[in-house]
Amino acid sequence: MVGPSAPSAVPSASDEKQQVKAAINPSDRTGGGQVRPANLEVPPQLERLATGLTRLRAALGSVSYPLELPSADEARQVGSALAAQLDDYLLPRLSRLDAPLLVVVGGSTGAGKSTLVNSLVQTPVSTAGVLRPTTRSPVLVVHPDDLPFFAPGSGGVLPGLTRTGQSSSAPDAIQVIAAPTVGPGLALLDAPDIDSVVDHNRKLAAQLLAAADLWLFVTTAARYADAVPWETLTTARLRGTVIALVLDRVPPDAVGDIAAHLGEMLTANELGSAPLFVLPETALDERGLLPDAAIGPMRVWFAQLAEDANARFTVVRQTLNGALAALTPAADGLADAIEDQVRTARSLDERVEAAYRTARRITEDGLRDGQLLRGEVMARWQEFVGTGDLVRGLESRVGHLRDRVIAAVGGRPTPSHNLRVAMESQLVTLMRGVAADAAEQAYSAWHAHPAGEALLHPDLQHASADLPQRADRLVRDWQQWVLNLVRTEAGDKRVVARGAAYAVNGAGLAVMIAVFTTTAFIPTGLEVAAGAGSAVAGQKVLEAIFGDQAIRSLATRARAELLTRVEELLAAEAARFTGLTAAVHPEAARGTLLRQAAAEVEKAREELALTGSGS
Amino acid sequence: MNVAQTVPNDRIDTGELTRRLEALARFLRVTDPYLPDGDLVAAHTLVERASGRLTLSLDHTVVALAGSTGSGKSSLFNALARFKLSPVGVRRPTTGAAHAVVWGPLEPANRLLDWVGVLPRQRFVRESALDGDDEASMRGLILLDLPDFDSIERGHQLEVDRLLGLVDQIVWVVDPQKYGDRVLHQAYLSHFATHSGVTIVVLNQADRLSPTDTEVVIADLNRLLGEDGLTGAPVIASSAKQPGMLQDLRSALENTVANRQAALRRLAADLDVIGDELGAMFGPPAAEDEVDRATVRQLSESLSASAGVAGVADATAGAYRHRASAATGWPLMRGLRRLRPDPLRRLHLAEPVKTDSVSTDVVPRTSVPEADAAQKSAVGLSVRAVADRAAAPLPEVWAPALNAAARSRAGDLPDALDRAVAQTDLGLEQPPSWWRAVGILQWVLLGAAGAGLVWLILGYALAALGLPEIDGAQVGSVPLPTLLLLTGLAGGLLLWLLLRPIIEAGARRAGRRAEQRLRSAITEVGRVHVVAPVREVLNAYAQAREALGVVRSE
Repeated sequence: MVGPSAPSAVPSASDEKQQVKAAINPSDRTGGGQVRPANLEVPPQLERLATGLTRLRAALGSVSYPLELPSADEARQVGSALAAQLDDYLLPRLSRLDAPLLVVVGGSTGAGKSTLVNSLVQTPVSTAGVLRPTTRSPVLVVHPDDLPFFAPGSGGVLPGLTRTGQSSSAPDAIQVIAAPTVGPGLALLDAPDIDSVVDHNRKLAAQLLAAADLWLFVTTAARYADAVPWETLTTARLRGTVIALVLDRVPPDAVGDIAAHLGEMLTANELGSAPLFVLPETALDERGLLPDAAIGPMRVWFAQLAEDANARFTVVRQTLNGALAALTPAADGLADAIEDQVRTARSLDERVEAAYRTARRITEDGLRDGQLLRGEVMARWQEFVGTGDLVRGLESRVGHLRDRVIAAVGGRPTPSHNLRVAMESQLVTLMRGVAADAAEQAYSAWHAHPAGEALLHPDLQHASADLPQRADRLVRDWQQWVLNLVRTEAGDKRVVARGAAYAVNGAGLAVMIAVFTTTAFIPTGLEVAAGAGSAVAGQKVLEAIFGDQAIRSLATRARAELLTRVEELLAAEAARFTGLTAAVHPEAARGTLLRQAAAEVEKAREELALTGSGS
Repeated sequence: MNVAQTVPNDRIDTGELTRRLEALARFLRVTDPYLPDGDLVAAHTLVERASGRLTLSLDHTVVALAGSTGSGKSSLFNALARFKLSPVGVRRPTTGAAHAVVWGPLEPANRLLDWVGVLPRQRFVRESALDGDDEASMRGLILLDLPDFDSIERGHQLEVDRLLGLVDQIVWVVDPQKYGDRVLHQAYLSHFATHSGVTIVVLNQADRLSPTDTEVVIADLNRLLGEDGLTGAPVIASSAKQPGMLQDLRSALENTVANRQAALRRLAADLDVIGDELGAMFGPPAAEDEVDRATVRQLSESLSASAGVAGVADATAGAYRHRASAATGWPLMRGLRRLRPDPLRRLHLAEPVKTDSVSTDVVPRTSVPEADAAQKSAVGLSVRAVADRAAAPLPEVWAPALNAAARSRAGDLPDALDRAVAQTDLGLEQPPSWWRAVGILQWVLLGAAGAGLVWLILGYALAALGLPEIDGAQVGSVPLPTLLLLTGLAGGLLLWLLLRPIIEAGARRAGRRAEQRLRSAITEVGRVHVVAPVREVLNAYAQAREALGVVRSE
């Protein structure tokens, strides 16, 4: 009844699978005896493959997925699994193709993995029990001759796990036991479960499975339809790992029924060619081992595999080839995820830019149509012109002095000062308003995007806290710049510079006013009289000093300068958002690197032809 | 706090439960427009389900056997029913659809099963005349055999998830092989942590373990349940194969049936869960003066600026000056004054608008200039400040609702402001009576001067013609006509000069008065258009908070 009963339903179509079948079915072996794989020629392509893998490993280490996208979570897992597989299996395995065949016994909790391993080596090496999960630290059983292959620092598989002599509760420890009952060239690894509540077990099991040359998947009559193990099986199949199955704990009267059903399921999942062992539920002997009648055929199977170096080597190469072949699609998937990240980052940035573009446009419009000068500013300009300060200041130094004396005695600021305060406060209010709107717009635009939402923090809902101060500073700096500009421009027009200080002051003010009024000032309502009159007055006064063309160019330059400064301010505001996606942009190059490295590995693999007829 | 958890024998009052459910429904009505839908889905589902369950028979208890594939749910089901009703098999997964068995007459249970959604062909009646009174203690029990939740058949899991939401009591069937499975604990048991009052955990297939092992496993299972948060749920070892090992489970079920409390307890536990979830969205009670004076003043400042209040007030002062000069100026100069326009007329504010309720006049748009970019920004900032101020003491989740409320009528603001300006009585309709008196006095003085002039001209003419002079009246040494002329002219001029500061003061007062009235009208606009919608949300918050207090039976 029992034994390697590969479901005969579907004869495997692919050459590869037939070869595997041949390889792991020792009865088919062709003789070849004790040729150690170490004696096989190592082709030069192997060198290139190793280089490619190292580069791929480096590329894998450098990429990250900062944005919370559906693809990112998966990519992080796949990425770390790939890196672990490279470290734990591919690189060590390539460097030591002659290392023993690592059989990882994996499966659900309570499936009887430990009992199976103990029975196979006929020694209770791994603790079996009724508590779930039982095995927490993996147990590796090897032939004493093969011990050096698994010694720490030997460059063997799973270099990240600490080797211990006895059972250890430390995480990432692996208990290595030498047992002569294991054939040389074989190593049995009792892995933790894949589906218990202990998360660490699951991760460790996945890591061990990725390092397996042959995966002995153990399931039970109660479990064989569970979703979790089938997911793992599918992963292993896609990765090209050679799989053998054990159906354990089968009620003796249901053996035929369940084995047939499992066979159907295997075939439906393209695993029809995997050998299947059925172990009926039996009482254990006094050492806690399965009786010989049940375990015998499996022991024979493993003994034959241990004897046949070629079969072993074929299994090793089959799994290695599968793992290498699976690298490229996986790496491509990661590169796709990176592109997804970059694309999303761009679209998020685009949303922010749109919000701040609107802010810039509103500011520009506010400055262009001169509306800022309405109301208060206009009234004060009228004050300024109406009292004749400017004119007198230009006309005579005496008048200038008198005004200063009056201002000092009266203790009130000069009209020009009033005018400036008004303009400052209006400009600052405008900037605060547009920045607050833009921040809110950008915030809600990101909020609507899952990846954007993950990046947001409550501060971003509002403009930055020190914006009023910075806007204030900006306006005063700009005013200083305008005054300097006027001073420079007026330098070679000394004819009118008798009241120099005041004139420059007044001219600077007038230029500021002209910024708003020259272009598209449309007088309406309140300031029909005030606006039109004062605009003309301001223009005329300045024209008298510098000439018409000079005023125009001064006004244009002052306005352009103000806009540049506002743009800088808004860019700094936008950077609060775009800074959060900045980490994504360098990933694009790393993604390309990843793709290249994977392509290189794939090319080397094809040249090497691990399972091809040539090797 | 948790009614179900305290003492399992604590009876739950139907009235109390109904009151809590009604409070939850009220809560949902109030918060629906303001809170994100995603946060309320569970509560909506519960209200719907609870009202469904409470209208159906409370004398029946729906108990579900749930567990992994191969744990022996169907065997247990059949063993409890003492008939082979649900197919048992070795192929996994075995049971694809829920089976139900009813102890007692089928009819009243049928509606309940319709509601739960068990197909009629999968319903069985347990009781028959042959049993006598053996099964009387189980009467009222509806036992469901659920599909598994961990096999490769995804549909089974969906069916289990649906049914677990509807049943009154859950019996989790685990077995020695699978009791530590991740999917069982993480996806199911830990989600029912607050339902320990309606949960029984059964370690099935206990016959496969030695009695010592059974104890060890049950201890480990209890530890895992503790990690899931399910402390207090009874853990029973059982076996479908050995009838003796079924007794504990059977008496637990009989107990449940006799109590007739499972349905209420289940709903109470659900309410506890929902109450705790929703509680996270509530903080301290919203203060009475949520939107403080300073914020409202800032709002009305910026609204006034954007409505051009200062300009209108200046125009009012100007109009006062203009009209006063026109009424009281030196009559010969008044015509000149009329050449200049009335500042209020230029803003289309000269005509008073009828504001009584019977008037059908449309309030005309004024010519007050539109707000500029800076003023619009200032309004935006102060509206935002109102929302932020109101949102400050509330949990984050309410901020968007308050923000949206503050801005809900922002589009109407410019028109409302303009309308408020147009409708405000600026106080210039009734010209002061002294204008008229002064006007008459001016005319009298002018008349006197005119009379004096005519007299003088007449006197000169008579002298020139050699006619006898009119016997000139003399005031002191000055002839009367000369005095009349000079006094008339000087008096008019003097009056004009004297009145100038008075008119100026009057104009300033009129400007101030107009500004005051405009500001109070604008403040009212701010209250209606910005503050009121915010208050509405705060009101909803307070009501929802109160309702939630009832739900959580605090």
